[in-house]
Amino acid sequence: MKSAEVRLENISKQYHRLTAVDNVSLKIEPGSMIALLGPSGCGKTTCLRMIAGLIRPTSGGIFVNNADITHVPVHRRNIGMLFQNYALFPHLTVEENIAFGLEMRGIKKAAAKARVAEALTLVQLSSFGGRYPAQLSGGQQQRVALGRALVIEPAMLLLDEPLGALDKGLRESMQVELRALQQRLGLTTIMVTHDQDEALTMADKIVVMRAGNLEQVGSATEIYQRPVSKFVASFIGVSNMFEGAVERREGAGGLVAAKSGIRLQVDSMPSMASSDVTVSIRPEAITVEKANGLEVADRPNVVAARVEQVIYRGFISHYYLRTQGGQQLIAFEQNQLHTTGLRHTVGDEVVARWDASSNHVIPNP
Amino acid sequence: MDERFSGPGAWILYAITIAMMIFILSPLLLVMAVSVSDSYFVTFPPEGFTLKWYAKVLQDRDFIDAMQLSILLALGATIGSLLLGVPAAFALVRGDFFGAAAITGFLLSPLIFPALVTGLALLQVLSRLGSEDARLNLLIGHIVVTAPYVIRTVLSSLLLVDENLEDAARTLGASRMRTFWRVTLPQIASGVAAGGLFAFMVSFDNYPISMWLANSEYSPVPLVLMRQLVNVFDPSVPAMSTIIILFAMAGVLVLERLVGLRRALTV
Repeated sequence: MKSAEVRLENISKQYHRLTAVDNVSLKIEPGSMIALLGPSGCGKTTCLRMIAGLIRPTSGGIFVNNADITHVPVHRRNIGMLFQNYALFPHLTVEENIAFGLEMRGIKKAAAKARVAEALTLVQLSSFGGRYPAQLSGGQQQRVALGRALVIEPAMLLLDEPLGALDKGLRESMQVELRALQQRLGLTTIMVTHDQDEALTMADKIVVMRAGNLEQVGSATEIYQRPVSKFVASFIGVSNMFEGAVERREGAGGLVAAKSGIRLQVDSMPSMASSDVTVSIRPEAITVEKANGLEVADRPNVVAARVEQVIYRGFISHYYLRTQGGQQLIAFEQNQLHTTGLRHTVGDEVVARWDASSNHVIPNP
Repeated sequence: MDERFSGPGAWILYAITIAMMIFILSPLLLVMAVSVSDSYFVTFPPEGFTLKWYAKVLQDRDFIDAMQLSILLALGATIGSLLLGVPAAFALVRGDFFGAAAITGFLLSPLIFPALVTGLALLQVLSRLGSEDARLNLLIGHIVVTAPYVIRTVLSSLLLVDENLEDAARTLGASRMRTFWRVTLPQIASGVAAGGLFAFMVSFDNYPISMWLANSEYSPVPLVLMRQLVNVFDPSVPAMSTIIILFAMAGVLVLERLVGLRRALTV
């Protein structure tokens, strides 16, 4: 299958007075997989359906390999699409479902039969060809939908929350499987999800959307380690956020005084007009130690706190701390198998500390 | 067996069911009983047993003509309401346009409008248009009252069809038209069949519309039956009625065989 490059140029979608998608431009590299990630109503599904041709953009253009497809009707776009509820045709067997796209392309029964068999093998359902969708499990149904989408050798694959209806274990194994298949086929794929784990697991590039706009576009590590806004920092994973002001700059970094009284040493400070900033720290960067009369006064990136809640999650524990300044802090610590019990319990006086490199500065708008 | 139909309270349920059956069926059974009565007047209980009234009815040119007209009219009204009703329902459910709710209400209004008034209004409109062919007028009038049945059943079965199925078909290369034939229609087949059956039956025993639009040459069965009832009320009237009842039952059974009536009527 040849890989297509997909490009969105300033596309917008307006519903009466509501702007669902606001002037979005995006380039998707051939053979890559991107995930449109965001809360419901952020415009991610509208974007996907515009690429599919199921929704007509109010303005802007969609290009596949530099050919303008903005006004090409959906049935001529050669697209494979997976839906959350599978959307298998209930009155057709598995084989007939998969053959549907070939039939629409006028491919002869005999030639189609071989390709259907091939697709069934690809999705590991060779012996299920004669069954009806209602006789299959959710996971099997989505495999059929995948076979049906791939058999037409689409220019791109569009996934609309494809695994949302599956239970957790199956969803995770399907994520890995789908990703492996996509990479093997080198198929340009665009996925919509509100599940950050799914986006992190599957996508080369994550596009975080909010209120019809692109909030941040980047690899999983970029999005996780260097979120450009408070929204991204809190939507992907968990973040501790400190509101504060830049106290002084030193080389690339500097010192930030947080409103809650903590002082934060940072390694890198973006250039910005205002001195108003938010510093985000990931919970796993924080080390929690017994207080034991440790002196914390005025040292940066150290804070005295009390343990408010402990949640044991197997290989990690979540510690909810309250600083003397009244701010809540969340720390994740990996548990050691050979030690018994938790390192800290509710009510303990502790000291939380972290490296300057863990402080990520987000300029306040 | 469902546990609701067993246990100590079950006999109440059975009693109510049987009472309802008697209430609904006894008038029909009465008509059938009277139709074989060997007397010149309609009497109950019937006296003796004879099929001569059936022989008389089946030789009655007026009745035979009326039967033919009614069957053709009902078929025409069914086809007409399917051709108009299915696309209308599709547009109302899938189309996203201003006033869809109001139009739905308007299209279904003949269901609640008194048919007598509708018939009179139609007569005035059609005569002003200079339409003088009674058969055409009857067909138009019947479609006006039967199409809402098709619209309603198709509407409700369309609401149950997952729109993603149509989207999936289109991404797979099917045009809107092919999507409708290959994907949507098989999903709503039972609703279409039920709507068609309703349309046929409503047309077949329609009196209030036909009364205004028929003439002496072209009169559907209900009109002929009524005329006969007023003129000579002998057991040939119950015999005609019985033929109509059996005819209706045959229609229901055919539909049951074709699509499964219970499935068709639960849409």
